[in-house]
Amino acid sequence: MHVELNSEDLAFREEVRTFFEENKIKDGEDYFSWRESWFKKAREKGGWDVPKWPAKFGGPGWSPTQHYIWEQETARANLPFDLPFGLGMLAPILMNYGSEEQQERFLPDIRDRKVNWCQGYSEPGAGSDLANLKTKAVLSEDGTYYTVNGSKIWTTLAHMADWIFCLTRTDDSGIKQQGITFLLFPMKQEGIEVKPIITLGGSHTVNTVHFTDVKVPVENRIGEEGKGWTYAKGLLEHERTGLAGLSKSLVELEQLKDKARTIQRGNGNLMDEASYRSKVGELEIDLLATEFTELRSLASAASGGEPGPESSILKLKGTEIKQRIQKLTVEASGIYASAWGDKGAGPSFAKGGTAGYLNSRYFTIYGGASEVQKDIVAKKVLGLTTGKSK
Amino acid sequence: MNFELSEEQKMIQQSVERFVQENYDLTNRVKISSEDPGYSQEYWTAMAELGWLGLAFSEEEGGFGGNQIDTLVLMEQFGKGLVLEPFLANIVLGGGAIKRGGSPAIKESILPNLIEGNLQVTLAYAEEQSRFDIEDVATAAREDGSNFIINGKKSMVLNAESADKIVVVTRTSGSQVDEDGISLFLVDATSKGIERENFPTVDGLRASEITFTDVEVPSGNLIGEKDKGFAILQAVVNDAILALSAEAVGAMEVLYKDTVEYTQQREQFDHPLSDFQVLQHRMVDMFMEYEQCKSLLLRATMETVQDPILAQRTVHALKHLIGKSGIFVGESAVQLHGGMGVTEELRIGHFFKRLLVIDSQFGNSDFHLDKFTSL
Repeated sequence: MHVELNSEDLAFREEVRTFFEENKIKDGEDYFSWRESWFKKAREKGGWDVPKWPAKFGGPGWSPTQHYIWEQETARANLPFDLPFGLGMLAPILMNYGSEEQQERFLPDIRDRKVNWCQGYSEPGAGSDLANLKTKAVLSEDGTYYTVNGSKIWTTLAHMADWIFCLTRTDDSGIKQQGITFLLFPMKQEGIEVKPIITLGGSHTVNTVHFTDVKVPVENRIGEEGKGWTYAKGLLEHERTGLAGLSKSLVELEQLKDKARTIQRGNGNLMDEASYRSKVGELEIDLLATEFTELRSLASAASGGEPGPESSILKLKGTEIKQRIQKLTVEASGIYASAWGDKGAGPSFAKGGTAGYLNSRYFTIYGGASEVQKDIVAKKVLGLTTGKSK
Repeated sequence: MNFELSEEQKMIQQSVERFVQENYDLTNRVKISSEDPGYSQEYWTAMAELGWLGLAFSEEEGGFGGNQIDTLVLMEQFGKGLVLEPFLANIVLGGGAIKRGGSPAIKESILPNLIEGNLQVTLAYAEEQSRFDIEDVATAAREDGSNFIINGKKSMVLNAESADKIVVVTRTSGSQVDEDGISLFLVDATSKGIERENFPTVDGLRASEITFTDVEVPSGNLIGEKDKGFAILQAVVNDAILALSAEAVGAMEVLYKDTVEYTQQREQFDHPLSDFQVLQHRMVDMFMEYEQCKSLLLRATMETVQDPILAQRTVHALKHLIGKSGIFVGESAVQLHGGMGVTEELRIGHFFKRLLVIDSQFGNSDFHLDKFTSL
């Protein structure tokens, strides 16, 4: 058992740092052309533009340690923005369950960041109980296309998306998990209506999406009809690991401490106040432990395969840590915590913190609410059942 | 021991409750908040006509001779609708300072107009560096013949946009953090040298940063004695804490009740959410926090009415608990409402924001725990 990086790992870290350093955005450089060339250069490094993809599909085929190093370095570097929907959510499903034709059709555009995807899972009546979804897809008599009707909710960036990957119901005669079909279709077409939902932080990221008689060719179906739940479920576990965001939290915690040190209190600063300091300390201790829980989970994935139910612990702990960082940011703002948005008053450290905190409440709700995550741990890890098992 | 309200107080409680129910649904509140001046002039006038603005003033001052218990009755009901009208800024802060330290002439010219809703007064006490320490005052007032000249900057002044007069907390002697050497002045909001930068707050109210540049004020506008203003400020801040805590208790009641109702309606996994024991227990915790806050609110208010100095420690205890429990109840309500709780569409989120703001005003829960344990 050892935690030191070996010389190869250290060399890899150096290579990553050098790459980030050499490809930083320059003063006055156009953001989008920089972004495009960044991904191009990352690709030339041998799949660094798609670090999580397997080597078979053009990824770098890194070891868990290399992935961990990459995560740590990316949290600190100012990389071009990227969206997870195509790259991290749909791509693994295409790779595992899509036909070769579908892989050839969709993966290149995902890799080139040419097509923006959104995820059509949750519905007004299907939140934590996702399998309860009701959006109907009916196969035409000649078997060439589906007609989709229904509504999705909490669809992140649906208003910017070109395509959606969508869970639909094709059969409601059996148990809920059966009869779900996984379809892909363009967002910009007749019969699709996107409406914004404004969240507490005052921003528009999520939407409701309504489908009225949307036609989807049968070749846009992933795998078999009625097996969509199986395909989506593996992906949910991926999503949950990703949601922990620990590397980012480590960086944010350091930023929080720096900020607190700039807030003068008497002869010292906010970090000298016992109550504040102890909360920051408790948070950091939890983060140190969770970071290693993540490493252990990575290591077991390296020797086994899919991340298992232990990913539920990571989502629980990781999202709670993110919320606590936001809460401490609000507390650091002091009397300025109530000033709203850019128009708000006070020193620069106080701006935006409260909006961030309010939106962070979502972290313990999306991707499976914390209560549901704990049910999973109770059942799958501890082997517990209840008389009123739900 | 008697926790019963008087007949008059019960009547007022019912009439405020009805007012809030009839006028403060979410849609109306959002509309009022988004349009200038951020509250309804019509409601403000109605509140004056119903006598609510004068409850806590003596009869000589043009009021009805009530005390902090009457304010509690009002504010708790206001909290159930997140009432936007500037009661705290005018009646508790501005009016509270003048009531305690104003000369007979000032009281006579200000208080009846304030109580009738014809004039607005707020209090400018916080500063950028002061955080929650009310004795940390850098804004200086320099004596110049029969005038004082004020220079400095005040932060997060509530409702200053609509104020005709401002009670401003200044330093006339001593070092920046001394309790001695603080003086309060009543100034015209339109005086030469006053600049207001107005902005909305997280809870849909309004506040301002105010810069004072060589603002002249006659020495007759002193509120209380020169250098001895701290005691007045502390008493006014304590009243504000009681009032805000009452509002918070009203808001927490809405949050826990709405959550109980929502979980009984919303079905997941073929059951109402309220069937799940883990959610039941969380709601029991919310309910317990609400009841405990209400108990401590009553205790701190009744002790303040008896002896405000002895009550100081309980007031710190109250603001600590309100901050901590308010955020717990708010976060729990959002969590149990799921995604809907994080949107602007349900009133839950708006109540949560108000509780968050209340924790950041007049000292947050950490600050008051520290004060409580050091007294």
